[in-house]
Amino acid sequence: MTTIREKGYHHWDGQLIEKRCTFWPITRTGIKLAFQRKYFKFLFASSFFPAVVYAVGIYVSERLEDFKFMAQGAERTIQVNPGFFKSYLSQDFLFFMIILLMALGGAGLISDDFRHKAVQLYFARPITKLDYLLGKAGVVVFFVGLLTLVPGLLLLVIKLLFSGSFKFFLQYPWLILSIIFYSLFLMIFFTSFVLLLSSLSKNRRYVSVLIFAVYFLSDITQGIFNVIFRSPYSALFSIKSNLKQVAAAFFLEKLPYAYPWYLSFLVLIIFCLLSYVVIKRKVRGVEVIR
Amino acid sequence: MSVELKNIHFSYGKVKALNGVSLTLNEGATGLLGPNGAGKSTLLKIMLGFLVPDEGEGRVLGYDLRTEQKFIRQQVGYMPEDECFIPGMDAVTFTAYLGELSGMPRQEAMKRAHEVLFYVGLGESRYRLVDTYSAGMKQRLKLAQALVHDPKLLFLDEPTSNLDPTGRQEILELIGEVASTKNISVLLCSHILADIEAVCDQVVIINKGEIAANGRIQDLKMIDYRLYELKIKGELETFRKELEAAGCRVEETEDRLVKVYTPPDFNHLEIFRVAARNKLQVRQFVRSQTSLEDLFAKVVGVD
Repeated sequence: MTTIREKGYHHWDGQLIEKRCTFWPITRTGIKLAFQRKYFKFLFASSFFPAVVYAVGIYVSERLEDFKFMAQGAERTIQVNPGFFKSYLSQDFLFFMIILLMALGGAGLISDDFRHKAVQLYFARPITKLDYLLGKAGVVVFFVGLLTLVPGLLLLVIKLLFSGSFKFFLQYPWLILSIIFYSLFLMIFFTSFVLLLSSLSKNRRYVSVLIFAVYFLSDITQGIFNVIFRSPYSALFSIKSNLKQVAAAFFLEKLPYAYPWYLSFLVLIIFCLLSYVVIKRKVRGVEVIR
Repeated sequence: MSVELKNIHFSYGKVKALNGVSLTLNEGATGLLGPNGAGKSTLLKIMLGFLVPDEGEGRVLGYDLRTEQKFIRQQVGYMPEDECFIPGMDAVTFTAYLGELSGMPRQEAMKRAHEVLFYVGLGESRYRLVDTYSAGMKQRLKLAQALVHDPKLLFLDEPTSNLDPTGRQEILELIGEVASTKNISVLLCSHILADIEAVCDQVVIINKGEIAANGRIQDLKMIDYRLYELKIKGELETFRKELEAAGCRVEETEDRLVKVYTPPDFNHLEIFRVAARNKLQVRQFVRSQTSLEDLFAKVVGVD
């Protein structure tokens, strides 16, 4: 039976615990807040559209006999091989949807805390800067993972289920690792990208615009350099092209641009490292100007 | 003993913010006073572990300032001066969230959040988005988040700013109750001297990065000086100069009331003698009750 207590302040009789994943409440709250944003649920659901189409593609490719009357020549166009998975994970629409979702649900991750001076509330708690950043990064990782890693692995499972044998798996045993590692690479890149831009302004609207602007301006820059120099290396200026180049390397496919893949990989990794340095400098419990 | 600091130095580049601050805070409520830029906020931030001192050492609730900041923050509640919140959350989720970040289990944090919100007077509006709160409600919410994990020590930075007189009174009563009957030490940083006088029994006055006064308010008010209020007819200037030469401080208020702060061993008859020499009429002479404001003005040296 609950004790009836006097009105007023009462001590809490529990015990504070040292949590192993201190960042988890931050991630969980960030995800919850993202879903509260207008249109986010609709956009999030829409971003699974390519995954559904690819799943149907796998089904059709395995049941070509049944669909012969309506899908003539499908055996040439729908070939489920590593390239099929690469094309899912590096398609323009998927990148666009990730950018769109992050502009809507991820832009305020750090900028809102700056604007409403909430950073000091976090750091007045027993959490470190790393916990805070991991918590915020977890939100981006969650959404990017749901759009890349989860559908990638599910498509592989669907392929195995519909083919009814492990032949495909034995033919490409490294494919599962390619899906996992490329998805992880995308998660790391997009996390750095979104958190960097979110830490640059106190206004989430500016950050949303910045997310789009940087992504598309990098493409435009590639186009301009390509017109001037006619060199494949101009792709190094584009986020999308670099991601596609790295994807081709991860899935052992033909490179879309005629230069070594590791250059694109290096560009993206350097971007991530620089982002980390900038974010670490920007996120402080207090403003200290020395 | 809640806080013990020894010879703390801290600089922002070439600007010395704290210069050899040594301080001991006991249980109960302590006021932290000082003019703008005196180093109050820096001192609070050092005690919370936001800033690491350049020199010196200290312990908060027995934990080392430099190496055990995590434990300090677990046991300390901090109510910042700024209006800070997380947009898109209702008050109960916000408070529970911060409780959880302090190390409370999720369910317990939620239960406790309801309790403290009722305690600070936000019980009825606890499901409203914090974005829609008035400035006064946000102030109460900040107090709730500072109390949610049941801290042993509370750092309150300007807790009554943005509050109307009734709200201010209520918050001061809450703080007073917490400090006096609930075994929670409170360090109250405020510009409103009346707030400190109402809640605290100790005061620390900090000026230009150094401790200017520290002790029980009653003792400080008694020992340091005496205050006489006079109404005088005649030219004040030479009277003022003579008294200042004798070690007193003379102030004139807008309604021409002359306040004379004298050293404790000063013979008050000397004031009459100086007035007579300057051919002034003393029309009123009262030994006044010194206030914290007077003490503050004296040690900080501002009018």
